[in-house]
Amino acid sequence: MELKTLALDLGVLEVPHRNGGDPPEYAAGWYIDPQTGMRIFYDPNTQKFYTMAGGVYIPLGYMNPAPKQVTLAIGDRLKITMSFKYSGPAITGATCYYSVGVYGTFGFDEKLVGQNSKSIPQYTTPTEVTDSYTFTIPTNVGTDWDDIYCKIYGGSPGVPQNLFGYENALVIVGIQPTITEFKIADFAKV
Amino acid sequence: MLDIVLAPLALEPKTFNVGDKVRVSVSFKYVVGVNTTVKLYAGPYYTNIFGKHMVTSCVGEADVSLIAASTPTEQTATVDCILIPKANGGIDNGTYGLRVWIEGTKAVAEQDNIIIVSGNPGGVTDMFSAMMPMLMMLMMIGMLMPMIQGMSEGTEE
Repeated sequence: MELKTLALDLGVLEVPHRNGGDPPEYAAGWYIDPQTGMRIFYDPNTQKFYTMAGGVYIPLGYMNPAPKQVTLAIGDRLKITMSFKYSGPAITGATCYYSVGVYGTFGFDEKLVGQNSKSIPQYTTPTEVTDSYTFTIPTNVGTDWDDIYCKIYGGSPGVPQNLFGYENALVIVGIQPTITEFKIADFAKV
Repeated sequence: MLDIVLAPLALEPKTFNVGDKVRVSVSFKYVVGVNTTVKLYAGPYYTNIFGKHMVTSCVGEADVSLIAASTPTEQTATVDCILIPKANGGIDNGTYGLRVWIEGTKAVAEQDNIIIVSGNPGGVTDMFSAMMPMLMMLMMIGMLMPMIQGMSEGTEE
């Protein structure tokens, strides 16, 4: 089966400074988004706002329109590569996490997940680091499993969680047909 | 100068008699991982204040085989529906829409007011059939009344 790849860029990662550093703009806690009226949580460690969906904190704005679509059939392999720039001390045991699933109103419904343990050497200047995971599309794949995301977190010293995902990144060729451009061509007495 | 081009309706209305068989042709593109068969349905519908309603007795179905395809593939198919007369629990005279769909998918296509149905008997015959139960009731009363009267006269003696 064919191997297809998707790449996601997590941007620049830095281990939080234990001494000093910029103070967070907001204190940790719940806020109301003035535009949507939605309750959002601010985490000063990651300096990100989160929504709560199904008991899981999801950073705001972590899903993005996919720059391309990859068509996958049952048995195909999908290789997702994440990349980020890193500068800081050596890290051992950070988790690089990957998921394929359905992103909707209630967050990301993970259908396939995979993870790698990642060790990163010390870098004094921002240096590109990559990691990848390969999924095999199972026979029970749904045609709506078209979203992906990845994140990196944990390790020693700890990396703050960084997420990034793409909506509608995959076109699944599953057991159920996906039909488009359906129209009545003609009708007549016979 | 205005240069306006009016786009024609996708399908022109056609007139049918009750009892006619209507063949509906559809076209679509699909992708599917394995060879499979789907059910294609077609039938007339009418619209009222509560929405659109299929004339279920006239809905036809057909099996359509799809060969596994990982890139969007053109496919055509046909399905027949029979305009069963109203007297047999079918369709009344009037104007109907046509809806076509594939079971278990989001594939639906429809167009309002393109099936014009005629040929159901109307007028005096229709009035007679509507009045038939009432006439039957009157006839039964007419037969029973003399018997009831006869019984009551017997009791007085």
